[in-house]
Amino acid sequence: MPYSFTEIEKEKGKVVGLVFFFLIVFYFVTAIILYWSIKSFSILQLNTESERLIIPYQWMGICPKEIMVILCISFVVGIGHWFFSVNNLVEKILGVLRAEKLNPQDKYHIMFQHIIDEVSIATGGTPLEGVVVPTMAMNAFAISDFNGRNVVGVTEGLLARLTRAEIETVVGHEVAHIVSGDCLTTTVITSLFELYNSIRMSLGQMISNAKAQRAKTDVLIYLTYGILSVATFMGKILHMFLSRQRELRADAVAVRLTRDPLSLAQSLYHISSRWRGAGLSGENLEAIFIVNPRFSSLDEKQGLVADLFSTHPPISQRLNTLLDMAHSDTKILEKKFLEQQRAARALAPEMLTSLPLAPTSNKKDWIINKDGEWQGPFSLQDLSAFDWMQADTWIKKLGSDRVEQAFENTEIRDLLWKRTDQESFRCPKCQVDLLPRQYEGVTLYQCQVCGGSLVQERDVSRIIIRQEYDFSPRIKEIARKFYQEASKKLPHIDLTRASLYPCPKCQHIKAKMLRMLYSLVYPAVIDKCSFCGFLWFDKDELEILQCMIEEATQKNA
Amino acid sequence: MLVGIVLLVLVVLIFLSSVGLYNTLVGMQQNVKNGWSQIDVQLKRRHDLIPNLVETAKGYMGHERQTLENVVKARQQALDASGLKDKQQAENFLTSTLRSLFAVVENYPNLKADQHMLKLQEELTTTENKIAFARQYYNDEVARFNTSAQIFPSNMVASMFGFKSFDFFETEDPSERQAPKVQF
Repeated sequence: MPYSFTEIEKEKGKVVGLVFFFLIVFYFVTAIILYWSIKSFSILQLNTESERLIIPYQWMGICPKEIMVILCISFVVGIGHWFFSVNNLVEKILGVLRAEKLNPQDKYHIMFQHIIDEVSIATGGTPLEGVVVPTMAMNAFAISDFNGRNVVGVTEGLLARLTRAEIETVVGHEVAHIVSGDCLTTTVITSLFELYNSIRMSLGQMISNAKAQRAKTDVLIYLTYGILSVATFMGKILHMFLSRQRELRADAVAVRLTRDPLSLAQSLYHISSRWRGAGLSGENLEAIFIVNPRFSSLDEKQGLVADLFSTHPPISQRLNTLLDMAHSDTKILEKKFLEQQRAARALAPEMLTSLPLAPTSNKKDWIINKDGEWQGPFSLQDLSAFDWMQADTWIKKLGSDRVEQAFENTEIRDLLWKRTDQESFRCPKCQVDLLPRQYEGVTLYQCQVCGGSLVQERDVSRIIIRQEYDFSPRIKEIARKFYQEASKKLPHIDLTRASLYPCPKCQHIKAKMLRMLYSLVYPAVIDKCSFCGFLWFDKDELEILQCMIEEATQKNA
Repeated sequence: MLVGIVLLVLVVLIFLSSVGLYNTLVGMQQNVKNGWSQIDVQLKRRHDLIPNLVETAKGYMGHERQTLENVVKARQQALDASGLKDKQQAENFLTSTLRSLFAVVENYPNLKADQHMLKLQEELTTTENKIAFARQYYNDEVARFNTSAQIFPSNMVASMFGFKSFDFFETEDPSERQAPKVQF
């Protein structure tokens, strides 16, 4: 590591202290200006000379006593603001970004968790937490708080598009911010003012809507909008405390941790050539991201103004430094990027392959060790009912000398794995049990008779973002025709009661699933349960929706 | 009198800087030990995963008994090994047998598509990476400590208190993590 921990702590304390001092000064100056304007206005209202008292030692008509009172008030307000912002700051930022916890069943999330653990080891065991932002955009961020909580987040788009080695370097970059201590400063600065920009933007939207409809807007809304605009401006000023060189330092530390400058250069190239999240909630928290979500011409400039107010150095500068380390050049990067884009993908399987499950036998030929005592014999069916049985429980088959742990035996291991998926869902059309399948890294439940599938709502967007499989010409043709027709006229939704499905999960007889359009832009008809949020897709419907969105986004890109 | 004061100041200064150097060396030594324990944890994790892997592969790979037996044998050797040099050798052998096993797995499409195998493969990939990173951290810390223990003036404190250099955890195959070489 380039810094020792004492240096980091000192540096951290210094910058955070400066930011706090700046906050107090900001409140003091604002209060003085406000007080002065009110006072001068009220003095002008007075008519006689005698009423305008002249007090000694006054400054701009404000005496030292008043200055002291204003200072005390700004100190109290500043401390209040500070503690309000700093309290629970990680959760607040994650809320604005709409970040979600990792799903331990999701293939991509498992890989991301592993990468985080790996990089943590490379730093000597820094505790790290991972989150994902469910969006197609590509970006990554890191935030820390005063309690030592460190969170590294990536978007689903980044997880789906980058290779394992590339994601590793991105995480390395974010972790570099954490270990070098600048992450806490960035998080605190972001939480002080910029966090409220999303409220300002929605208020701005409200005001412009009201103007368009020629309706009256409350003065309070204008006032709040004004205050939040000042806060956003202050946020920009606070960027002065953030050196844009910190991104270059983090790139260097990431290379030191992962020993892979080429993959980091590839990730930066990839991220900067795609949509980085402009327009999403949290886009203004630019300082915490690896690449500024909004394209800013200031970021690409050199010089004093850019150095002072820009949060990121020019991408070309970062790429050149990394490519120098890797003895490579941008031509190779471009070539690799295009190759990756054109790489052939496997076709999405018509019917997903099943998880291999062992048949459960009724023969009582297993004894197991519970709390140091051998019990049994039991059949496999009996074993599946024991919820205390874990992967490391000792087992023995009758007639065999081998004593082993549950996970070492394929039959028992299958049983343990099956138990986690034991919830049974029924196909609303064929009335047979739906079977769990892996598709685009998530678990969905498919009917082996009609091919329909049941998917959790949050997983639908993940399936759409991930482009592991290609589609057959048949699906592509249907999707194209459907999209063309739907752009002229929205499809008809059959709402007759008999045609509606009961939810395969909740299985209410009376309450049926709601039939609706996926969105107005992509008007595929879907069935959604309002109780559990699961979505039902008839055969091919999910692939058609995926294909339609993929082709439309490629066309727009 | 003046000479006395100067001497006293010098002695105090030497004493204080020795204390500082001693504490730094102890801190570095702790980092090296922490690095070693990280490697140990990951190696143990790899040993625990192998029986599971062999069980899953056995069902599909009837004709490749030799490869599987090699992995089991290498694991046993790694478990029995004691001392850094023996351990290094055994672990490197285990890495190479695992690599040949995964090369063979490529020829069995059913095994490759097996959900358990996919999970195990991801587990082993991450464990291999963790071992590599833990080794990298350990070696970096060893290099820092060894350099400090050899350069003046900390080498005097090191020899006075009997600090000994640590051995690196070396890998047989330098291209193990297929990343380009970095030039700082």
